Amino acid sequence: MNGGTRLLILPLALSPLLPFAVFRANRIAEAEPRSLVAALGGGGAALAVAGLAAMIGALVLARRAQVRTVVAAALVVAILLAMGWAAARLTAGGPPQVRVGPGAGFWVALVSAGLLVVDARARLHPRPAMRLAIVAVAVAIGAAILWSGALSQLSIMQEYGNRSASFWREGARHLWLAFGSFAAAMLAGVPLGIGLTRARRASAPVLGLLTMLQTIPSMALFGMLIAPLAWIAANVPAAHALGIRGIGAAPAFAALFLYSLLPIVANTVVGLTGVPRSVTEAADGMGLTRRQRLTSVDVPLALPVIVSAARIVLVQNIGMATVGALIGAGGFGTFVFQGIGQTATDLILLGALPTVALAFATSAVLDALIGMLPGTAR
Amino acid sequence: MIELQSVTKDFAGVRAVNDVSLTVEQGTVAAVVGTSGSGKSTLLRMVNRLIEPTSGRILIDGADTAGVPAPDLRRRIGYVIQDHGLFPHWSAARNIATVPVLLRWPRAQVRTRVRELMEMLQLDPDVIGPRLPHELSGGQAQRVGVARALAVRPELLLMDEPFGALDPVIRAQAQADLARVQKRLGTTVILVTHDMAEAIRLGDRIAVMRAGRVEQFAAPADIIARPATPFVADLLGEGDRAFRYLSLRPAADLARPEGPGAGPAAGDADAPPLSPGTTMAEALSEMIWTGRDHVRVARADGTGGTVSRDDLIRAGRPE
Repeated sequence: MNGGTRLLILPLALSPLLPFAVFRANRIAEAEPRSLVAALGGGGAALAVAGLAAMIGALVLARRAQVRTVVAAALVVAILLAMGWAAARLTAGGPPQVRVGPGAGFWVALVSAGLLVVDARARLHPRPAMRLAIVAVAVAIGAAILWSGALSQLSIMQEYGNRSASFWREGARHLWLAFGSFAAAMLAGVPLGIGLTRARRASAPVLGLLTMLQTIPSMALFGMLIAPLAWIAANVPAAHALGIRGIGAAPAFAALFLYSLLPIVANTVVGLTGVPRSVTEAADGMGLTRRQRLTSVDVPLALPVIVSAARIVLVQNIGMATVGALIGAGGFGTFVFQGIGQTATDLILLGALPTVALAFATSAVLDALIGMLPGTAR
Repeated sequence: MIELQSVTKDFAGVRAVNDVSLTVEQGTVAAVVGTSGSGKSTLLRMVNRLIEPTSGRILIDGADTAGVPAPDLRRRIGYVIQDHGLFPHWSAARNIATVPVLLRWPRAQVRTRVRELMEMLQLDPDVIGPRLPHELSGGQAQRVGVARALAVRPELLLMDEPFGALDPVIRAQAQADLARVQKRLGTTVILVTHDMAEAIRLGDRIAVMRAGRVEQFAAPADIIARPATPFVADLLGEGDRAFRYLSLRPAADLARPEGPGAGPAAGDADAPPLSPGTTMAEALSEMIWTGRDHVRVARADGTGGTVSRDDLIRAGRPE
C-alpha cells in the first residue's frame, strides 16, 4: 500500500456514514438526505458495508497493481449499481414525479474509488496499446451499465429519458464544436508554426497576439465576435448561406478556434526548433530538399510536441464548448444552463457528466497515442 | 579532382575564409587542420554548398558546382559530421538508405546496397540494421554515419571532425577503418580536423588553416620537415616532431637482411619480430622500452630484417 492509496481509503471507509442518496418529491423540490440504511434497507446496507470492507481489505493487502486496479474498478461498478438499486427502491410505489439522486456518501465513495483506479493503473506502467485497451474497456463497462437499465430509476437518467432526442443532438453539436474547431486550428496552426520557424522576426509578434487572445475571458470573446459575425452574415450572402450568424454556433466555433491556436502554434514552433542541429545539418548535407526535410525529418521529430498541444486543446475545447450554450451554440452546456435556470440539479449533471467523461477519455486516448509515436523515449 | 579557386566567404563583414586555392587529386585524402574559428568547417561546407561562397569558384572534375542545383550536388557528395547527425526516428538501415531512397533506387537494390555497406563497415546487418540510433554505441553510430555518406558511391566524401565525439581507443579503430575503406573504394576525401596527429595519420596532403587563410598545403613529411610558418610549427608541437616524422614510414624500410654473413643478430634473437606495418616511431619506442639496440621486423613478403637504433635516430632527422 502506498501513500496515495492510504489517503483515499479513509474517505472511502467513512462514506457509509454520509447520506447515500437524496430524495425529492419532484425534480425541483428541496432534497432530503437518505442514509445508506434508508436507501438500501437494513439487509442491503449491511451487505454493502460488508462488501466495502472486503474490498478495502483487498486494496490494503494486495501487493500487485493489477489486482488493485481490478478491485478498485469493481468497487466503482458496485457503487454505481448500489445507487441504481437505491433509486429503484426509493421510487417504488411513489408518484412518478418523485426523484432519487446521488447523495454526498455516494459521491465521496465514487470519487475515492475512481481515484484509486487511476492511482493503481498509473502504477501498472502500461504500454500505449494497453492504455488504449483500458480506455476501451472502461467505456464499454460504462455503456453496458447505462444500457442495462440498472440506473434507469436514477434522477439523472430520468432527466435523460425526458430529453433523449435532444441529448444526442446536443452531444453531436458539442463534439462538432470541440473537434471541428480543433481540426480547423490544426489545419491553420501547424502551417503557421512552420512559417514562424522560417520567418523568425514574425514569431514574437504573432505569438504575442495569440497569447493576448488566450487571456480574453471566454464570455467576452463570444461577445466580441457577435458584432463582426453579424456584419458578415448581413453582407456576405455565401457566409449567410453557410449558417454564419452573429449568435449561435459560428461565434462559439470561432472563439474555440482562436483559443486553440496558441498551444498549437507555440508547440509547433517549439517542436521544430527542438530538432537537433546536427540532424538538420545532416539532412541538408544528404541533399534533402526543404520540403523533403520538413515532411520526413522536421515534422516527424516535432510530432510528439505537436500532439501534446492537440491533447491540451481538445480537453480545453470540450470543456469550453459548454459555455457556448449561453450564446445559442448548443452542446451539453444547454442542459447545464437550463438546469441552472430551473434549479434542477439533475439536469445540470446531465450536461456536466458527459462533458467530463468525454474530456477524460479524449485525454487518455491522446496520451496513449503520444506514447506510440516513433522517436519518443520509452 | 576538386579545385578551389580563390574561395572567399564573408559573414556580416567578417572574413571567415580568405582567398583559398587548393587542388585535391582524385582518390587522395586532403586533411584540413586548424584551430577553432580558422574557417576550416566553413571551407568544407562551401564544397557541398551548405554555405555559398562570397567569391571564388569550386570545381569538381572541371565542372563548376554553382551550376548544379544544391540538393542534386549534395546527393553526389558524401557528408559525415561530428555528432553523426543520424535521423533519430529511423533505424540504422533506413538511415543508410537515405540518399538511395531520395534517388528512387528500386527497393531490392537499396536493400542489397545497405547490407553491402554494413558488412564493409563491420556492422551486422541483421543485428544493427533494425536498431534506432539511440540504441547504438558511439562507434557504431559513427560507422552508420560513414555508411550513409558512402551509400551511392560518391566520388567525394566530406568529413567534418568525424571522429571528434569518439573516445581515443575507438577513434584509432575508426581512423584505421576509414583508411582501409578509402583505399578500397578510391574515394577522394576532404577531412576537417583540429588534431594534427589525425591529419598526419590520414592525410595524403595537409592544409593548415589560420584566420581564414591556408598557411601551408603539403604532404605530411614536408609539413613536419619544413613547417612554412611558426603557426604550423606550433600546431605540430616542437616536442615530438621527430616522432611524428618517424611515424610516417614503416620500420621495414630500414631493415638490413638477416641470416648467414650478416653476423649474429645483436638484439634478442628469441623476441618475435615486429609486424610488417610497424612504423619507425613504434620500433624506436619498442627499443627504448625493452632496452635493446636492435629489433627484428617482419616484411610483407615474409622475409625478416633487423633495424638498428642508430639508423632509426638518423632517419628521424629530415635531410
